[in-house]
Amino acid sequence: MVPVKCQGLSKRYGRIVALDKLDLEVERNTVFGFLGPNGAGKTTTLKVLTGLTRPTSGRAWVAGEEVSPASQTLRGKIGYLPEEPAFYNWMTGREYLAFVASLFGLPSPEAGRRCDELLELVDLSRDASRRIGGYSRGMRQRLGVAQALMNKPSVLFLDEPCSALDPFGRAEVLGTLYRLKEQATTVFMSSHILADVERICDVVAIIDKGKLVVESGVEELRQRFASPIFEIEFEQPATPFVSMVEAMPWVYKVEPDQAATKLRVHARDLARAKAELPGLVVQSGLTLRQYQMVLPTLEDVFMKLLANRAE
Amino acid sequence: MSSMLALLRKEFKGQWRTHRLLIVAAVFFVFGLGTPLLLKYLHALVPSEGFTGVLPQFTAADSAKGYVDTLGQVGLIAAILVAMGSVAAERESGTAAMILAKPAGSGRFIIAKLAALAVTFGLGIAIGAVGCYAYTVVLFGSPGGFNFLVANLIGWLYLLFCLSVTVMYSCFFKSQLAAGGLALVTLVAIAGTAGLPVLRDYSPGALMALSQTWSSGGDAIAWGPLAVAIALIPATIFIGWQVFRRKEL
Repeated sequence: MVPVKCQGLSKRYGRIVALDKLDLEVERNTVFGFLGPNGAGKTTTLKVLTGLTRPTSGRAWVAGEEVSPASQTLRGKIGYLPEEPAFYNWMTGREYLAFVASLFGLPSPEAGRRCDELLELVDLSRDASRRIGGYSRGMRQRLGVAQALMNKPSVLFLDEPCSALDPFGRAEVLGTLYRLKEQATTVFMSSHILADVERICDVVAIIDKGKLVVESGVEELRQRFASPIFEIEFEQPATPFVSMVEAMPWVYKVEPDQAATKLRVHARDLARAKAELPGLVVQSGLTLRQYQMVLPTLEDVFMKLLANRAE
Repeated sequence: MSSMLALLRKEFKGQWRTHRLLIVAAVFFVFGLGTPLLLKYLHALVPSEGFTGVLPQFTAADSAKGYVDTLGQVGLIAAILVAMGSVAAERESGTAAMILAKPAGSGRFIIAKLAALAVTFGLGIAIGAVGCYAYTVVLFGSPGGFNFLVANLIGWLYLLFCLSVTVMYSCFFKSQLAAGGLALVTLVAIAGTAGLPVLRDYSPGALMALSQTWSSGGDAIAWGPLAVAIALIPATIFIGWQVFRRKEL
């Protein structure tokens, strides 16, 4: 059983193409990162996969079942957290979770236990009896994560799950999501926080203008698409050095920081960069503080792939 | 089935916690008490010069009829105001998407809303009717308990029909105002058909006239408007559901 599969999935809103023949396949027990710039079609994809929106054409399967807005059995197998989770402000956090438990038909004692577990998991036990109307954005997001996990879903769909969380909250939620793999849950998350995706995702897909740009393992993606990066730090501003390096044919891009003391040099030709860059540093006469070759980040890959498409 | 119960519990709790139940009950209670009081003391309130002989001596039947009149007018507005956001507001805010991504069912979601509104208005009418009846008995004498009860039941059925039409429009739009506006136009048009030959024998708009007849001591039964209203309530909800299930959430 493939947890998530899309075949030629398209969605149009009038003349706007939100999804354009999207083909995807997500393997079991993976944390799948779904990336793309704003308006790329990430939220639309999640809505189609959860049955909240009908595709214009194409088919999708989730947890072994073909997605249809009417399918109630499918909804029993999935969890969903929208980008901006909306709650009944007059309910307390615990009441909302108990309500969700009853929608899944959990018997009373089990529902109570599950609510306690989830409140503990998202660190809301102390605020469980407060009205949701008084919750901060981060607390609402954490409650959203809790309600999405109520039925121990086999596929969990999360739309920007960490966007409203502080660094501690993000670390906790990401840790929780990563551990879900052990419970045979496949996590399908969209995010624009690429560092988060890099931290927990096994596989990522990048979409742009509704089309799939690439789908690959995170490591493989870095190897395949990103040019090696040299991080150089000087004690004084290195503006003339930046111009000198930019002129080299083996350089793809130079990114100096605001003070121009620290720069990232993206190489087009690794061998030549390795051989010639140290000589240029010496030639500049600047005092070197740090020089290292680093692996490109997912953000580097993301920016490069989308920049290539724009060109 | 468990999800239906869960949705019903949530809706009833929501009616209470958002004070809708209290507001509806208060509105009907105020009019229930106000109608007999107003009729009793109208002579004292209106200057006697120029009005002598114009104002009749009001009776218990006038008090009951006056209350039923108000029930039809104020109740209609209250029904539209309370029901117009029932589905539209949930779609707009995103709470509907959160619920319907779970095995709740869009049909059950809508039915639970109408059921909660029906109970809210049922309780409101009951409270208003008790207030009106008690004050009418004290100030004018009994208006006839059974007739008054039937008049109120017919009034409740009419408002239930108004609620179902408004909930149907609420399923059509994300905008509460659009839902409420269309419901008002539709219900006023339906009320207008109660004055037309042939149509008045079947129009739910004729229910309030029937209610007034009962409140004044009459005992005629107009099966046409009753049957059509009873048939149209599930029909409007079915149409609303069919439209809603095709909507993007």
